[in-house]
Amino acid sequence: MKITTILFSLCFTITAFAQDYKFGKISKEELEEKFNPLDSSASATYLYKNRRTFFQYKQGEGFSLITEIHERIKIYNQEGFDYATEQVNLHKSGSDNEEVNNIKAYTYNLLEGKVEETKLTKDGIFKTEKSKYFDEVKFTMPNIKEGSVVEFRYRISSPFYWNVDDFDFQYDIPVKKLDAKFEVPEYFVFKTNVKGFLPITPKTEKENDKITFTSKTRSGGNLNGAVRTTFNSSDVEFTKSISSYHLKDIPALKEEPYVNSINNYRSSIKYELSYTKFPQSTVNYYSTTWEDVVKTIYKSSNFGGELNKTSYYKDELDAIVGSISGPMERVALIFDFVKSRIKWNGYYGKYTSGGVKKAFKDQVGNVAEINLMLTSMLKYAGLNAYPVLVSTRRNGIPLFPTREGYNYVVSYVKLSDGYILLDATNKYSVPNVLPFRTLNWQGRVISDKGGSTLVDLYPKEKSKNNIFMMVTLNEDGSIKGGCRNIKTSHNALRYRERYNNVNKEDFIEKLENKHGGLEVSEFKVTNELNLSKPVKESFKFIKESQADIIGDKIYFSPMFFLKTAENPFKLENREFPVDFGYPSASRYQITISLPEGYKAESVPESVAYSMPDNLGLFKFNIINRGTSIQLLVDENINQSIILPMYYDALKEYFKQIIEKENEQIVLTRI
Amino acid sequence: MSILILLITLSVTSQENLYTSYTIPANLKEKANAVIRSDDVHISLKSSSEMYITKKRIVTVFNKGGNDDVDAYVYYDNNVKIKTLEALVFDNFGNEIKKIKKNSFKDVSAVDGGTLYSDSRVKYLEYTPIEYPYTIEFTSEVVNNNTAFIHSFIPINGYYVSVEKSTYTIEFPEDIIIRTKEKNFETLDLQKETLPGKIKYEVKNIQAVKPEEYSPAYVNMSPKVLVASKQFTLEGVHTQVENWNDFGKWMYHDLIKNTYDLPASTINMIQDLVKDEPNDVAKAKKIYQYVQDKTRYISVQVGIGGWKPFNASEVDKLGYGDCKALTNYTMSLLKAAGVKSNYTVVYAGKSQRSLEKDFAAMQGNHVILNIPQEDKEDIWLECTSQKLPFGFIGDFTDDRDVLVITPEGGKIQHTKKYKTEESVQQIKGNYSISNNGAIEAKVNINSKGIQYDDKYWLETETERDLDKHYKKRWGYINTIKISSMHITNNKETIEFVEDVSFQATNYSKKIGDRMLLTLNALNRNTDIPDRYRNRKHPLKIRRGFKDIDEVEIKLPQDYKVESKPNNKTIENKFGSYKSEVAVKDESTLVYKREFTINDGEFPKEDYEAFRAFYKEVNKQDNAKVALIKK
Repeated sequence: MKITTILFSLCFTITAFAQDYKFGKISKEELEEKFNPLDSSASATYLYKNRRTFFQYKQGEGFSLITEIHERIKIYNQEGFDYATEQVNLHKSGSDNEEVNNIKAYTYNLLEGKVEETKLTKDGIFKTEKSKYFDEVKFTMPNIKEGSVVEFRYRISSPFYWNVDDFDFQYDIPVKKLDAKFEVPEYFVFKTNVKGFLPITPKTEKENDKITFTSKTRSGGNLNGAVRTTFNSSDVEFTKSISSYHLKDIPALKEEPYVNSINNYRSSIKYELSYTKFPQSTVNYYSTTWEDVVKTIYKSSNFGGELNKTSYYKDELDAIVGSISGPMERVALIFDFVKSRIKWNGYYGKYTSGGVKKAFKDQVGNVAEINLMLTSMLKYAGLNAYPVLVSTRRNGIPLFPTREGYNYVVSYVKLSDGYILLDATNKYSVPNVLPFRTLNWQGRVISDKGGSTLVDLYPKEKSKNNIFMMVTLNEDGSIKGGCRNIKTSHNALRYRERYNNVNKEDFIEKLENKHGGLEVSEFKVTNELNLSKPVKESFKFIKESQADIIGDKIYFSPMFFLKTAENPFKLENREFPVDFGYPSASRYQITISLPEGYKAESVPESVAYSMPDNLGLFKFNIINRGTSIQLLVDENINQSIILPMYYDALKEYFKQIIEKENEQIVLTRI
Repeated sequence: MSILILLITLSVTSQENLYTSYTIPANLKEKANAVIRSDDVHISLKSSSEMYITKKRIVTVFNKGGNDDVDAYVYYDNNVKIKTLEALVFDNFGNEIKKIKKNSFKDVSAVDGGTLYSDSRVKYLEYTPIEYPYTIEFTSEVVNNNTAFIHSFIPINGYYVSVEKSTYTIEFPEDIIIRTKEKNFETLDLQKETLPGKIKYEVKNIQAVKPEEYSPAYVNMSPKVLVASKQFTLEGVHTQVENWNDFGKWMYHDLIKNTYDLPASTINMIQDLVKDEPNDVAKAKKIYQYVQDKTRYISVQVGIGGWKPFNASEVDKLGYGDCKALTNYTMSLLKAAGVKSNYTVVYAGKSQRSLEKDFAAMQGNHVILNIPQEDKEDIWLECTSQKLPFGFIGDFTDDRDVLVITPEGGKIQHTKKYKTEESVQQIKGNYSISNNGAIEAKVNINSKGIQYDDKYWLETETERDLDKHYKKRWGYINTIKISSMHITNNKETIEFVEDVSFQATNYSKKIGDRMLLTLNALNRNTDIPDRYRNRKHPLKIRRGFKDIDEVEIKLPQDYKVESKPNNKTIENKFGSYKSEVAVKDESTLVYKREFTINDGEFPKEDYEAFRAFYKEVNKQDNAKVALIKK
């Protein structure tokens, strides 16, 4: 399949007419094109996208990273007008900041067969200070119409040379041609990480280059600015390696529901600085392998350093742990202590920001402050506790060894019979039930020596939802009864978050309205704050029009308002895995008392449907007991992730559930 | 424990009482995520071009939902200097636990996503509560050189929050005339004190309310006092305004008039464009189309540009602008063609907020264009849309009071109302059921009036999204597959026509020898208004509509009708519902349905009846025919 695609695109490019991608060389064909022939639904297309990133040396300032951007965009219709606006984020840190300059931009339109060009003027470029950490430069192109082609180029210079923006190769609109180039002097060694479905291989070559110094002072003119040297020549020669990428006809990346992060599937290359080696200077490592990454993170004073501090909590913790010796009891005590003591300020991070001491004092901290403190306390109490680096769902999957790959930290405790994971940033989180945001592939457990191992973050245990319902069906089609609902693990976590944060009356009204005007009474929740037990909800209800009375027969579906009504998967095909976050099991036990004088003439058949490879199971069991009907329904999704090859099976699973749960029982008069 | 605390707090001064939740009266805790303990706004007009605004606000927050009610932020720009900004945090015992100074407030650009650039900025407090309840005292002082907007007295501004006490004071020199207008204080005890050079308001005990479906918009129900100064300054421009006529005159002459600077080439081009059009409306239509093709909406707000449109020549050159710029540009093109039109200020949004008829002051958040007509309804143009048909404004600016600005002055007018009878969706369809219950349907949907507004955007959806849209629309049909979709957007008659075919297996459920067929396959109402144990707000239906369906149903070959539902007619003040099934021949039924909802406002006691009507409609829409094997 892949080979044919490549072959096809090769053939296509050979037969296509030669296009000029020099700045300003817009062709009439480009302006005349009404839609993208390879994707007619595209509202705009990158006709050409070029990026060149390279290093520049300035005496007295050192190296900076220069990125030159050149883009040519075709806008087919109004939906594509957004692509006529370009936004550049510029980072800053202290007195260092990124800059953008040499902005040149034109809009091209076809006017009565003639090409009309409009230049972007300076007053159409706006710079906004977004926050302490970054500025934003934005411009929008003049004279945009359906059919316009816009072209712009600009140059960003950055003092943060260790931070190279990802080379993305796929966007939400198609790309016709893309060239990218990264040029690195021998002093810098970068590691590349490729992801996505496109076949991407760079062409690499070496070139010689030199830096010319105009000053001859003894103390100046070295390359990294820090090392004393007697080097006194005006030219420094070096080689640079150049990687270039040439791609054609890249399809658009389209969003799908139940994807943890679409960025996981975007084709791109990440350059991560491994080490620098300046002449007559020692090697300075950034990262190359997971070991290096872990070491770098661990060595950071905002990570490892924080783990070793104990003095700030020592006394309080001693008092709390005291004579308790069981390891599980200790874990529970300390976990609860941190959860109640420090509140999460909503910021992620694997590094502390104000530091653990301050967080402890202020009772507020970011993720790293809370969970590193937790790990430290657990260690202090004699447990084998380690920090775990995590990439949150929105941050994507850490496929390659990079520091940026992880953005979060949780805690891991090794026990004689297994392990537990802890995250104290969420009040309702319990051991091994981490907040949903962290359920993303694997975390990296960091040992005391800075080594690391992987741990699966997807829960093994199914989150359960057990529903017991006793219903009396009346002759007029209304029902009344009682319902009890017991939830565990993530189902409980989510329920507690929803229930404990809102007004109780509102919660009941929402429940009623969710079920289309159910009338609820005697509503009760237990264990909403007792996390050691499943949360339980119970209520009595009445609801009208739950059966059809046609002639002398009564028809109804036995799950009433609890039945699954709509298939969540509407797309015909799927490219990416479905990510539920955790496996789940729902069980319904329903007893229906029939109206007096009626018997069941027919009931649906009992069935079971299972997805291949034990991914999911649906069971529907019904027993006719004469005056009552008993129903047992199981819905199980056994894996957190369902691969696209099983998408049809997953759709079928939901289809079966809906069909079965909507089947009717027919009652006739005895 | 709590008795002890109560004793302690009672013994201290009343001012300190406000820093603990123990002193909040029980009725203010109901439904409240937060309580505004005291809110003092003090405005001091030194002159018509210098205004000091001092605020002190003490808020007790009970839970996460109440954090936003602290409202600790200040907007600023070149005309606004922040003098003081500070917040103090107290625990539930009233002990101060944190102090946040001006420099620790976050400072960000106040640009929203839809704006390319604005010079407005905001400083806001970012605080993570370490326990609930907690109390924050927020104080700020700013000085503003613009006096065109004077803060209204808004003691409460949202749901789930209550107010213990709120005051508002304005002081002004003798030569300045201050006007006020009080709204929605009927159930509250508003105290007003008027002295020479000073007006003071005070209100106490406002209970929290929660949002309810089918209510009037919050902004139309909430209590407020509008305040304006006769003499004011806007970005250095001084003026005097007492009524809408003055106000319009000022806007026209100071902000709008001299922006009509189209180049001669454009004027010639426009005159040439419309030279064959028979009348002004036809000319306007042509020009509107020209603007839609040429421009797009991009918001840039700098200095006076927040109120004054870009020059027409600028839009002519750039091809973009905000609502002011695009409206003004359209107006200048119309002018070039000799068609008269007026710049019109409006509150945009679904809530149909009106400008205050009898209170002239800076109001509104959007601009549209009015083309006056003799002997018929005026034409209104939304100039920021590239898609809306000529003269169609939809729910964004319909049915509300707006300010029309003419060279002679301003006047309040009412925009187009989409009446129930003109907001019609007509469905003509047919479907057949196979012996194993599968459905195959073909449907033609024609939408007009406000129902056109609900759909016109579908025209430009991609096929993939449209497919999803129809699957959702008929989400009650499991395994639905859309086999064809065709859309015709008739902008001339303002009708939106959808032709869709679909199929699904097991639509009709087989039970032994029978089959149960839900007749209404194409337009089932699945929405029931929410139930409230204790409805507080009046019932408001903003826009009426009417659905008319006629569907021919081919029954499965091997089945015949055993029993069919009775025809049903419901009529009440909220609308009407009519359904009937007729047997055309042995294998064909004809299902007809009409469902009308009228717009209007009704007392809250009517809400249950309204809900019951919807419930009944729901039930009728699920009515089934029982078929039996021949």
